[in-house]
Amino acid sequence: MLTMILYTWREMLHRRVLAVTLLMVVAFLVLYGLAVRQLALHSGDLDPLAKSIVIPQIFSAGLYFGSFIVSFLAVFSALGAVSGEVENGTVYGLVATPVRRAEILLGKFLGYALALVVYAALFFLAIGAIVRGYTSLAPGGQGGALALFCLQPLVLLAVTVLGSTLLPTLANGILMFMLYAVAMVGGMLEQIGWLLHVQSLQQIGIISSLIMPVDALYRKIVYILLTPTATPLQALTQMGPFGAQVEPSVWMLVYTIAYLLVAVALAVRNFNRRDF
Amino acid sequence: MDLAIETNHLTKNFGSKTGCADICLSVPRGHVFGFLGPNGAGKSTLVKMLVGLLTPTAGRARLLGRPLGDRAARRRTGFLPELFRYPDWMTGREVLDFYAGLYHLDAVTRRRRIPLVLETVGLTGREKQRVRSFSKGMQQRLGLACALLPDPDLIFLDEPTSALDPLGRREVREIISALKSGGKTVFLNSHLLGEVEQVCDRVAVIRKGRIVADGALEELLSVNLEVSLEVEGWTPELEAALAHLSTGFTRVERRARLTLAGREDLARVAELVLAHGARLYSLVPGQRSLEELFVDLIGNEN
Repeated sequence: MLTMILYTWREMLHRRVLAVTLLMVVAFLVLYGLAVRQLALHSGDLDPLAKSIVIPQIFSAGLYFGSFIVSFLAVFSALGAVSGEVENGTVYGLVATPVRRAEILLGKFLGYALALVVYAALFFLAIGAIVRGYTSLAPGGQGGALALFCLQPLVLLAVTVLGSTLLPTLANGILMFMLYAVAMVGGMLEQIGWLLHVQSLQQIGIISSLIMPVDALYRKIVYILLTPTATPLQALTQMGPFGAQVEPSVWMLVYTIAYLLVAVALAVRNFNRRDF
Repeated sequence: MDLAIETNHLTKNFGSKTGCADICLSVPRGHVFGFLGPNGAGKSTLVKMLVGLLTPTAGRARLLGRPLGDRAARRRTGFLPELFRYPDWMTGREVLDFYAGLYHLDAVTRRRRIPLVLETVGLTGREKQRVRSFSKGMQQRLGLACALLPDPDLIFLDEPTSALDPLGRREVREIISALKSGGKTVFLNSHLLGEVEQVCDRVAVIRKGRIVADGALEELLSVNLEVSLEVEGWTPELEAALAHLSTGFTRVERRARLTLAGREDLARVAELVLAHGARLYSLVPGQRSLEELFVDLIGNEN
């Protein structure tokens, strides 16, 4: 399995997915850093209430787009995990070796996963450092939030690898894009539903989270970071499309982990059974 | 007999379509076995089942005395696919290192085997080039190197010379002969009948998913053997006796041609000529070619 993990890392490097994503990350962090700095410079002009709304939302926006970039990396690096090998013809030599098919697939998954966790962790810490450096915001529960921020791309990775065992690379990419869109849009609709007390929108959000739970994970992260104590301002700090009006339950977290494990198990099963 | 490959009614169906049906083959260790058939007959289907790319629909097989899929047997098996593709972003050396890892070769064995197989396939000095810069022939040589890397006891070669020039083909034949001398077993899928004739001990022919001939090459080529003879003193009785022995008999003056069922009838021809008081000046068995056998068995597929 170590052979496959190393192979996967080298492939990520050579295909330049990591490099392109790194450029995106740097560009984003530079722009984000400038924006937060400007906000901090002019925040003296804001009254305390406005400041307590705007700064957390800037922070959660940073996390939102940060998770988008890491999700981009998760999907595009693993899009052809199996289908790419089939389309290139490299699968024939690979599968005929003494390595178990499960080891091949899990080696690839772990290779992508380890890279994604490092990437996500550094990104999360960078955003946190920018916000803490320029503002007075001191988010709590960062350990738990960091873990969840790293879990997000792994969920997408698991589904992407599963899709790769079933679909050609391009079709898998379209599917993953659609699933991510469902999660994002459903999540925003759910926030509006909670804010305006519209049950149907809340349910749409819940269903979309069951289909693809990454947005629910994001809402959990934001809720942990920006709601250290229940205060009258709590609802205000969570306003807007990047906040979390209601904390996703711990059962959502349990469901997400089970979802990830089932996706990986199905991917292994499909790869084991497939004829090449 | 110690068998390297043994299949027992091995079958693969793709939905309602038959890939291979009831394949029963036995390949002794240390033999070079040729597997022939027209396009789409099922040659690659059988090989893919044996190396684990396809799951058989029915039947069983053993490789090196162990059931199909056994990891220990896989470690002693090498495979050159018909579609030989390797990660194009890797160098030749990196591909071999990668496959060495997949075969669990230790560092000492890697250091010894990698230069050796590079030299065997004629890629020494090219191992630092990326695969994307390789010609098709070089990629096939790299594939052969990967197949030879674990020093396998059994090696499957699926069209191993399809991308090679005549010199390259001769090199591969020499590699196969060297493998045989080393006691290895080679299973060779090839369209190039001349090549199979030169290196194989045994052949099987497959048509529409079923084996239509299987045996030692010499025995198969001696079926329907054409014989030329020159006799002085022909009699009607002698002609009748030879015509009865053969499936086709023609005579022009002293010379005659007849088709015998097998080599075992050659001596009988000489006996009959002498028994009828004629003089036998020459008795020359024709060398039937594998191509002729192939055409007889497969017919005109078009």
